Amino acid sequence: MHQRSVVQVGASLLIVSLALSACGSRSDTKTATNGNKTAVIGVMAPLSGDLSALGLGIQHSVELAVKQANANNTIPGWTLKVEAKDDEGKPDVGKNAATAFAGESNVAGVVGNLNSSVAQSTQPVLATAKIVQVSPANTNPSLTQGANFATAPVRTYATYFRTCTTDAVQGPFAARYLFQKAGFKKVATIHDKKAYGQGLVAAFSKEFTALGGTITAAETINPDESNYQSVISKVKPTAPQAVYYGGEYPQSGPLSQQMKAAGLNVPLMGGDGIYDPKFIVLAGTTSNGDLATSVGAPTDSLPAGKKFLADYAAAGYKEPAAAYGAYSYDAANAIINALKVSLKGATDVASTRQATIDALGKVSFDGITGKVAFDKYGDSVSRVLTVYKVTDLKWAPVLTEAFK
Amino acid sequence: MITFPPAIVAKHSAKALPMGLAGAGLLVIGSLLSWSYDSQVLGDLSIAFNPGGLQIMAIALGLLAIILLLAHKGPLTSLGQWADTERGIHALADWTLIFMAMVVVTITAEAGGLINVQPGCWISLVGAVLLFLASRLLLAKKTRDLAEAVLPGWVEILAIVVIMAALLFGTAYALSLADAMVFVLFLVFVTGMAIAGTRAGLMSWLGHVSLRRKRELILAAFAVAFCFPLTQGGSDANMSIASQVLVFAAAAMGLNIVVGLAGLLDLGYIAFLGSGAYVGATLSSSGFATIGWKPPFFVVVLVAACFTATLGLIIGAPTLRVSGDYLAIVTLGFGEIFRLTMFNLDGNNGPDLTHGPNGIPAIPDLSFGSFNFGDTHVLLGVPIARFSNYYLLLLLLLAFIILVFHRLNTSRIGRGWVAIREDEKAAEAMGVNVFGLKLLAFATGAFLAGMAGAIKAHQDVSVTPDQYIFLESAFLLAAIVLGGMGTIVGVLVGAVILKLLPEKLRFFADYRLLLFGLLLVLMMRFRPEGLVASRRRQLEFHEEDEELAVRVEGDIAEEVQG
Amino acid sequence: MDTFIQQLINGLSLGSLYALIAVGYTVVYGILQLINFAHGEVFMIGAFGALSTSLVLFRGTTALWTLPVMIIGAVIASVTTAVLMERFAYRPLRHAPRLAPLITAIGISVFLQELVRLNYNQVPFTSWNPFDLPDAKSIIPFPAIDVVTGPAIQIGGVTIQREAIFTIGALIVCSALLWWFINHTKMGHGMQAVSQDQDTARLMGINVDRIIVVAFALGAVLAAVAGVAQGLQNHNINFRMGFLAGLKAFVAAVLGGIGNVAGAVVGGLVLGVIEAMATQYIPGQFGGSPWKDVWAFVLLILVLVFRPQGLLGEKAVDRA
Repeated sequence: MHQRSVVQVGASLLIVSLALSACGSRSDTKTATNGNKTAVIGVMAPLSGDLSALGLGIQHSVELAVKQANANNTIPGWTLKVEAKDDEGKPDVGKNAATAFAGESNVAGVVGNLNSSVAQSTQPVLATAKIVQVSPANTNPSLTQGANFATAPVRTYATYFRTCTTDAVQGPFAARYLFQKAGFKKVATIHDKKAYGQGLVAAFSKEFTALGGTITAAETINPDESNYQSVISKVKPTAPQAVYYGGEYPQSGPLSQQMKAAGLNVPLMGGDGIYDPKFIVLAGTTSNGDLATSVGAPTDSLPAGKKFLADYAAAGYKEPAAAYGAYSYDAANAIINALKVSLKGATDVASTRQATIDALGKVSFDGITGKVAFDKYGDSVSRVLTVYKVTDLKWAPVLTEAFK
Repeated sequence: MITFPPAIVAKHSAKALPMGLAGAGLLVIGSLLSWSYDSQVLGDLSIAFNPGGLQIMAIALGLLAIILLLAHKGPLTSLGQWADTERGIHALADWTLIFMAMVVVTITAEAGGLINVQPGCWISLVGAVLLFLASRLLLAKKTRDLAEAVLPGWVEILAIVVIMAALLFGTAYALSLADAMVFVLFLVFVTGMAIAGTRAGLMSWLGHVSLRRKRELILAAFAVAFCFPLTQGGSDANMSIASQVLVFAAAAMGLNIVVGLAGLLDLGYIAFLGSGAYVGATLSSSGFATIGWKPPFFVVVLVAACFTATLGLIIGAPTLRVSGDYLAIVTLGFGEIFRLTMFNLDGNNGPDLTHGPNGIPAIPDLSFGSFNFGDTHVLLGVPIARFSNYYLLLLLLLAFIILVFHRLNTSRIGRGWVAIREDEKAAEAMGVNVFGLKLLAFATGAFLAGMAGAIKAHQDVSVTPDQYIFLESAFLLAAIVLGGMGTIVGVLVGAVILKLLPEKLRFFADYRLLLFGLLLVLMMRFRPEGLVASRRRQLEFHEEDEELAVRVEGDIAEEVQG
Repeated sequence: MDTFIQQLINGLSLGSLYALIAVGYTVVYGILQLINFAHGEVFMIGAFGALSTSLVLFRGTTALWTLPVMIIGAVIASVTTAVLMERFAYRPLRHAPRLAPLITAIGISVFLQELVRLNYNQVPFTSWNPFDLPDAKSIIPFPAIDVVTGPAIQIGGVTIQREAIFTIGALIVCSALLWWFINHTKMGHGMQAVSQDQDTARLMGINVDRIIVVAFALGAVLAAVAGVAQGLQNHNINFRMGFLAGLKAFVAAVLGGIGNVAGAVVGGLVLGVIEAMATQYIPGQFGGSPWKDVWAFVLLILVLVFRPQGLLGEKAVDRA
């Protein structure tokens, strides 16, 4: 008796569900109000949390580029839209954001991420969906050249590009500055174990020891910690002349302050992750003399950069462009230039994705950070870096040069 | 809630029925007309005689009201002697009024001005008000005991099929809603129907039916869940959420064994899920995997499950002797130890097994022979894409876990756990191997979580320590507490609610955790046994309730018979 | 030798924080047998209270005389939170099975964290920021008060932070006041009585409800002082600081003997020193600060297995 009713239930359900599943499907084409087709440029960056200052700068710079492109009708027949998703600086959240982008059929390209560790999780997702990804801030070399980038570089993801230079350049650049220009022969290193910090410190240490300097201590911190006394107590007895930190400003600011208060009164140097006004706020009044490197020349040193900053201010965004605003602007324009080629005469975005990848590899124009073009690995051809020093509690550029 | 004084009720009760019918009628007619001038608000409600989603819901509410009214006094009184129609209409009218009021407010707020609310909406609102007034004028009736309502077998099975189909399409519809306010109004609609049904005795009848026809019900539930991908028309967006819900439900069910059955408060359970995921990731063919052994997937699942079970034994052995509160903190500590260890094993502070905070990304899709989970296959004419494939696999896993749960629950082991939960010392005195059973619960929960974790690693593409923080354990525990500890249906309901609502109510995204904390506090204050209460638990939490005890006795007797 | 003393001082300073918070745990547990999971958030709110006092009343000046006012501000914030928590969340659950208050505590903990994160500088559901407070979604710098912060004092090879002196000093003062309160005031005697036997105490005419409120408030006062101390030590605060600190403080309370106030202080100091020593002296890859927290939890498990009554507790502990 039970067997029959079981079969009855199963059969009736199957029939009902099939019948009703036949009705219902969803189509996705959207048209903008003026009859143009819509293509979306996505943004993935930390829009909330500790790094939001940098992330919001990225978002607004991309919005500015798209606004200008729409106003100039750069891609006839198409209107561009920006869709920003928060990756919170965490690999998991970033991956979810990338998965969401991958599921939308009118996403033509994505600018992101900020953190190298997040990009490691988003690259595979966007690569599978063949959506181009241009990062304004990822500096870890393995993202474009694979895990063995020093000995056997190989391009793992054809969809990934970046407009900033890599730590393979930034680390040695800092090493040379500290050894040759500042004259420090003994340096201690600290990093936060994430892909960016670890990679940067590794590149720095290799070059520093090759130049003849000594690394007196190599320590790590847990980024969730706010009290660094134990690390400082371990580093201080080794008497370094400077401390090189691989990581971002929410940790390095307090570290600098606690270091100086504990008697380790030496400059703290970091990479582009600490180059933000908030570092000085967190590091307090003892931060004068701290150093940072950042990719590219200072934005306002080039005329095109000054115009960008003026346009950005005129557009009335609440947050400043921050360290990566200029690079995000160039990244967005790189995608737009590629779309100029691939969207011509196309009816929808999804079918042009391969064409966009090919076109992006070939773009070459003068952006506001210098020449924007990509080499065979997707890395930027421009290798200009600047050293900044905290003077009178503000970042001031000290040295700008191209790394050879 | 609001009622009229008895004197007025007595005087006007004759008018109740015609007023109610008129109100429901107006509700239906108004819903067929246009509600909103602006077609962008609340899904298109602006075309007359072409009802949008919300209008169909209003029509449904009106029709149910008409049926209940006629059952109260009219042609359908044969149905009426079973159903407590007065309370049912009472509840239905309350919620219909809330529904219509919210519609008017939303249209006004989103379209900008009362001018946008069309006559059709006003008519429906008036109808809802009339219905509300009428419901307050109805006289209460005596009803017969629903345990005696025995209908022919095919009617009961049809009822199960109808309810399941409604669940299926309701869920598919709910997931497809892009507009958050429409989703909220849909929830109001569902709540209204559910509460009206409960008050009218429908739920209680279904409860008796399900006690008699347990096997059909479970089969129907699984058939429905299985057919779910078929209703998506090839779109994979919702399946991503659905498969995440399934992983969460599988983990919650595993925790249900530890907390719900054995009464061991485990606040570090997410570590078991994480350990399964990390083993799965490390043994996968990801470019970042740190161990060179790449066995086939079945072996990986087994290894992950056994490794996690061993971890559970290691954690359990020293700590299961301590009391409940301490156990909670110790397991929390273990959860943190796991997360910190995964965070630290990156070559700097330990051997490089897990790449520390960067985790193991780029985990490839599962593939059994030629069946690759990343490809889109076609089943019965409907394309089944990547997430749907994982969904089906996870459904199988969930079925297995539920089977294990049920078997354990109804066995000697399960009874031993009940004894331990109620009074440990007495159980020990009676010869129950307290420590052994506790360890078994821990190890079983860990084993199942390990299996779920191994699949999760492939579905998630990357594994990082951030995914396995304490807050996730709190969510799992909350799912069990919210849904009903120790029950299968309850935990599934709790898991679905806690995973699905944040995805759909996007405008609350910022306040998600705030509301979660508040929810926990309110739940424990007002309904600690959960939504779908295990009868035993209800007795534990409401020790002085005599009525409840009698009812529970009756239910148990009926279940044993059927 | 210098490193040993250095880490000893680091450990004592860290441990004093744990001790101050642990007292709150142990006092509540002694009376109610309830682990107040949300006590870490009371600590965090104390720190935010001090910050608000400094920013609103003094516009962030760092003069030393603002410190007592900041502490008072912290105490007001913490005690209010603790008393409200007790009154509305824990009191109705006094006779419920043990699971209920624990889950409620978790809920309160999450709720308070989010409340501070979202609404510290904005009135809820608006963006009105009347006092121009900073956004709590990222870390906020804490004012560096003169004299108690600043360059460290160097004695031979040992660096002693001023903040460490403040923290240890605060612990000593608070412990003394606490000892006096518990042993020489009526309220204190009442607390001792209620923790021994609630029903008899009630029969003796003690207002048990009031005692419980006093217990919560007492814990909150110490947690507030700890909050100010942590803010001074780290020079920043954030909404997440209560979680781990609360957990460690609970470990400290268990280590010292739960229910025993002196035990909480001793347990906190011992835990802090062990953590500092583990950071320094465990060799190889498993040493260093990333493993610091792991050792604390391992210690908890060892204590519960081998000596569940803690260092200063009596043998009669009901383990079941």
